[in-house]
Amino acid sequence: MRAAHLDATFAALADPTRRAILARLAQGEATVMELVEPFALSQPAISKHLKVLEKAGLISRGRDGARRPCRLEPAPLRAIDVWIERFRASWEERFAALDDVLEELKQNERQPKRRGKP
Amino acid sequence: MSKLQVSAEVPNEIHMTRVFDAPRRLVIKAMSTPELIKRWQGGVRTTVVVAEVDLRVGGRYRTVYRLPDGTEFYFSGVYQEVSDDRVVHTEAFNDQPGEALVITTYAERDGKTTMSVVMRFPSQEIRDQVLATGMADGAGESYDELDKLLASL
Repeated sequence: MRAAHLDATFAALADPTRRAILARLAQGEATVMELVEPFALSQPAISKHLKVLEKAGLISRGRDGARRPCRLEPAPLRAIDVWIERFRASWEERFAALDDVLEELKQNERQPKRRGKP
Repeated sequence: MSKLQVSAEVPNEIHMTRVFDAPRRLVIKAMSTPELIKRWQGGVRTTVVVAEVDLRVGGRYRTVYRLPDGTEFYFSGVYQEVSDDRVVHTEAFNDQPGEALVITTYAERDGKTTMSVVMRFPSQEIRDQVLATGMADGAGESYDELDKLLASL
């Protein structure tokens, strides 16, 4: 459950437009139309991003008639899990490269005098 | 399940565990040989431009990283313990105060090596800073908007 939730949070944050929308909502709630203007995107495009954010629990939608203003839900962002995952991903990238180096070192040991191609 | 396990349950520590498909001798070689460090420790966004290693008790190391915009930063420290299965060193970021103690153990079994790293910081605050900023530089994408957002919460 927890890992799945974190995946949704990260998938939602992976897109720069969605991060920018969250940054805008950190200044106060906004309707879809109010978000369309600064982002120069169509309303359906903004709505699609908002759906992803809502599913990830990063925003909530008000019940104010047709306005349905969007509000930032900061809890998932405050979770240290977000930082741990970023940290983990950054080190895993490096360790994947280290895997390649180790593979080469093993090959070289198996064939100590045949490093050049014939 | 990802290969690298990271835990931050101890408030002032970060724990990492990773299995490598190579004997301990080669893992330590790849982690302490400057030319090899340059090949893997940069990550996607950073390049390692300087790697200095003097792997013995009292010896120093320094790794200089460069970001795509040319900005450089470095980690450096002193080895306090060096043996076949355990290396302990200090680690400072850009010579700033609040250095960490990094304890790395290597356990070999059937040709594979389990590396366990404990990074111990002077406080939870410094630990959280490290998690949130410096060492995530390799994460590949710009999260500037997110950083701004988090700063405002």
